[in-house]
Amino acid sequence: MRCDDIRNRLDDLWEGGESPELRAHLADCSACAGYHRDLRRVSSGFRLLSREDVVVPSVGFAERLVRQLGELGRAPSVAEFFERVGRRFVYATLALTFLTLLALALPSTGPVRGLSAADMPAQEAALAYSDPVAENGLQESPELAPVESPAPALPNEVK
Amino acid sequence: MENSGAQLAQEIQWIKRAQQGEPEAFGPLVQKYQQRVFSLVYHLVRRRDEVEDLAQEIFIKAFRAIRSYNFQSSFVTWLSRIATNHCYDYLRHERASRVSFYWQMGENSQQELESNAESQPAEALDHEEHAVLKDLVTKLLDRAPEKDREILVLKELEDYSVEEIAEILDLKPTTVKVRLHRARKRMLEDMRKWREEKQGHAM
Repeated sequence: MRCDDIRNRLDDLWEGGESPELRAHLADCSACAGYHRDLRRVSSGFRLLSREDVVVPSVGFAERLVRQLGELGRAPSVAEFFERVGRRFVYATLALTFLTLLALALPSTGPVRGLSAADMPAQEAALAYSDPVAENGLQESPELAPVESPAPALPNEVK
Repeated sequence: MENSGAQLAQEIQWIKRAQQGEPEAFGPLVQKYQQRVFSLVYHLVRRRDEVEDLAQEIFIKAFRAIRSYNFQSSFVTWLSRIATNHCYDYLRHERASRVSFYWQMGENSQQELESNAESQPAEALDHEEHAVLKDLVTKLLDRAPEKDREILVLKELEDYSVEEIAEILDLKPTTVKVRLHRARKRMLEDMRKWREEKQGHAM
C-alpha cells in the first residue's frame, strides 16, 4: 500500500474500513499515521455530535403553529403585499431606465434624407442668391429673395 | 408493512388537505416531522436559542409552499430542502453581522482544545474529552465552506442517505458522493492547517 492509496480510500476509512495492509503501512509511515489519526478523530467527533441531545420542541409547538397559520390565512399578508408591489416597482424602474437609455442613444434630429425634386427650385434660388454679381439687387427684390426651404416632410409623419 | 402503508395514505390525505389551505391538516404533519426539523436546524445553525423560531418559520414557509409539493419525493425530503435553504439564508445574514464563534475564542482556549483533542485516540476519551472532540468538529464545521458544511451535516449528523441528500440538494447522487469526498478531504486539510497555524503562533 502506498501513501496515495490512503488518501484515495478516504471515504472507506471514514466509514471505519481498515485492513491488515493499512495497519502495516501506518506502522511504517508516520505521515499517513498522522493523517489517519486526524481522520479517526474527526469521524468520531461527528459520531459523538450526531448522538448528542438536540433541541426538542416546546410543549404545544404544533398547536401554536396551526393557530398561527389560521390567523395568517385570515389576515392579508403585509409582507406579500410589499413583495408584490416591490416587484412591480422594480419592473417599472427597469422599463423606464431602458426607455431613457434608448432615447439617449437615438439621434435627436431624426432620420436624414437627400434632397427631393421638390426641393430643387429652392436650391437654385439659393445658388442665384449667392451670385456675387447680382448679390445686392437680389437681396432687395422680394420675388428673388432666398426662400427658406421647409423642413422635409417625413413620408410616415403622423398627422 | 400494512401499518406503514396506512400511515403513508394518511399522510397523503393530510398533505392534500393542507394543499387546499387547511392549517388543521398541516398540524399532524408538524407533529410528525418537528423533531426532524429541529435536529436539522440545530445541526446547521448550532444555536439552541434560535432553533424553535427558525423551525416555526420553516413550517410556515412549508405551509405556504405546500401546493408546489408534487409527491415526487418524500415529504420529509421536501421539508428538509426548505429547512436547509432557510437555515442558510439565516446563516448568511448572521455571518455578515457577527464574528464566527471560533475566532471569538481566546488563543489559549484554542490551543488547549486542540492539544486535548490530539492527546489521545478517540476511542479512549472520557466524557470530558468527548466534549472536546465535539467542540473540535463543531469548530471545523464553522470554518468549513458553506457547501461542505451542508453536505457533512446532512450525511454525518442527520444520517441521510446519498440518494436523499441528492433529492434535498437537487443534485445527482454521483455529485453528492464527489462533494462529500471533497468536503471530508478539505476538513482534514483544514485541521492540519489549523494545527500548523497554531504551532506557528506558539513559536
